[in-house]
Amino acid sequence: MTATTLTPRPKRKVEKIYYAFLVPSLVLFTLSITLPAIIGIFFSFTNSIGFGDWDFVGLINYVALFSDPAVLASYLFTFGFAAVTVVLVNVLAFLLAVGLTAKIRLKTSLRAVFVIPMVISGIIIAYVFNFLFSNSLPELGQAAGVGWLSESILANPELAWIGVVLVTTWQAIPGTLLIYIAGLLAIPGDVYEAADLDGAGKFAQLVRITLPLVAGYIVINVLLGFKNFLNAYDVIVGLTNGGPGTATRSIPMTIVTGFTGGDYAYQMANAAMFFIIVVAISLLQLRITRGRNAL
Amino acid sequence: MPRRRSAKILAPLLGVLMLGTGLSACSSADAPETVRFHLSKPEAIPYFRELIKEYNAANDDVEIVLDSSSNLQAGFLRGNPPDLGLLNYNMEMARFMERGALSDLSDMPEAGRILPEVQDLVTQYASYPGRTSVLPYSVMAASVIYNKQIFKEQGIEVPTTSAELTAACEKLKAAGITPFYGTFKDPWTAAQGWFDYTVGGEVDVADFYKAMNELGTEVGPDSPASFQKDFKEPVSRMKQLIDNYTNADAASKGYGDGNLAFAKGESAMYLQGPWAFGEIAKTAPSLELGTFPLPMTENPEDLEVRVNIDLAAWIPEASRHKDAARKFLSYLFRQDVMDKYNAAQLGYGTTTDAAPATDPRITGMRDYFEAGDFYQGPSKAIPLTIPTENYIQGIALGGDATQALSTLDADWARLALRR
Repeated sequence: MTATTLTPRPKRKVEKIYYAFLVPSLVLFTLSITLPAIIGIFFSFTNSIGFGDWDFVGLINYVALFSDPAVLASYLFTFGFAAVTVVLVNVLAFLLAVGLTAKIRLKTSLRAVFVIPMVISGIIIAYVFNFLFSNSLPELGQAAGVGWLSESILANPELAWIGVVLVTTWQAIPGTLLIYIAGLLAIPGDVYEAADLDGAGKFAQLVRITLPLVAGYIVINVLLGFKNFLNAYDVIVGLTNGGPGTATRSIPMTIVTGFTGGDYAYQMANAAMFFIIVVAISLLQLRITRGRNAL
Repeated sequence: MPRRRSAKILAPLLGVLMLGTGLSACSSADAPETVRFHLSKPEAIPYFRELIKEYNAANDDVEIVLDSSSNLQAGFLRGNPPDLGLLNYNMEMARFMERGALSDLSDMPEAGRILPEVQDLVTQYASYPGRTSVLPYSVMAASVIYNKQIFKEQGIEVPTTSAELTAACEKLKAAGITPFYGTFKDPWTAAQGWFDYTVGGEVDVADFYKAMNELGTEVGPDSPASFQKDFKEPVSRMKQLIDNYTNADAASKGYGDGNLAFAKGESAMYLQGPWAFGEIAKTAPSLELGTFPLPMTENPEDLEVRVNIDLAAWIPEASRHKDAARKFLSYLFRQDVMDKYNAAQLGYGTTTDAAPATDPRITGMRDYFEAGDFYQGPSKAIPLTIPTENYIQGIALGGDATQALSTLDADWARLALRR
């Protein structure tokens, strides 16, 4: 900052109109995101329930947080869920993208079909699947005599997370798919022609040419996806509401239910911790993607 | 300097923003005074909408506006709560009172009409020194709902002891009838019926939580009171009833499924509150139903029903229309208005002059209510931030009860540490 003011150089004239673009969003962002976040962190050092009388309690909320098995379990669930989902979403979306960029019939209509889940709200998807898991699937299971399927998997503490993963995957594939299709279309055709002349089979082309050339897109999809899945909320609310028991409570769910349950300060501490972790992941993401782009 | 300039632009913008909020705060003087009335009970909205229409028509200087959707916690947080609340009274409401957010109503004549044992229910959760901030409006009594026809066909009398209940269940099972319909997909149903009736039938709920609140951070495996010790017996009885006498697919059924199945006569008993009657009547309007407290001991003297303050009125300290709100509160508490409400919603009156309940579906609990043999749901005395209903659902679905109860103890102690 000081360096630039000291060295005299021709003043670059900035169009005033840019400030007009910048200021409203800056004001809104500060008022609705930055300021509440700072207030929230401030209250995480108190015993406030959001209003009324309160006292400073120092770090007690944080101490309680680290010894709370429910909070720990929600972190384990959320990170495990995000990791599994991100792998599943990317493998499936990539394979679909390869298929949908190949020379096949009805390519455009098929693409439209696969993108449909993107335009439906998460909570509606969750309620529809909730019905399928609780009623349709068990009936199929009973008819077919498959024991483990004849009861709703959402009612089984060991299996409920699979339901959440499947539905989230179904919902997240379109966005990932679109990015992969864009990436695949960006690969010039002559690379494949050259590979054909050299006698490389389709599989070798996929592994040796396609994969390395879309590597940047894979990194973006994996990191963006992981960050999004950490925020899992609406699908879980509609499917299991964190249950059975507390088997599928994500971190955001714990924060919201605690907050509405009058545990404001404590969940602000939880949110502050979660914020730090997500920032760390985002920084890591920036670092890795920067490295990739240099390749 | 870009920084200086941005400040110049920001200042008027902020000014405009503040002006905007300032303007919206004061409305024009000659319009009727607006009183925002928050109501939590969806089933009661049509009833109160009519009532408000009448009241507004008769009073030119005031306009009551019904609000049933805004977030209460956020309203208090912003310093903009409703002017009058008529809500379910629970731990969260108690918290509003405990922190002094609700105004004192003890000088109102209505406060003197409330039955003392019902007003006690309020203070079981919390109190604020020198204030009566919450006036109970309607009490819901809940116990076992039973299908009178099935009971008659099988020659079963209403059980008054634990052994009689087991015998009745065995008899039903032998006849191929599911004794209880379980809906454990919805965690609250496991807590409201199964957990509360079994625990409340055996433990003195108010005394237990008094001890637990005094112990606070000391609650644990060796403390004089604890969930794992005091609730062990009733919860194991709950598990036994669930394992042996509920429908096989209870884990994947929810509250809506339960109402439908029970209305169709798919089970003889159903652990739900009076709110389910309206839903059951949609399918089977003429089905004869009755209620009885769940027997947990061998002594019929121990029988008690579960109650909750379904609606309670309060006026926030932050309200700018206290006088108008008080006037409307007095209207709501008029004897005829209250009686009409309770008769329509199958509630029990909270005042000394209230008409007794007459609907045959809830008269099975009247003697217990009038004798003061009732308790507030033990699952409701635990702050919402502890996922009690989820733990109970876990137990109902076959989880380890001992472990779940000791988790509750640990959560309780941790919460006490930071409150």
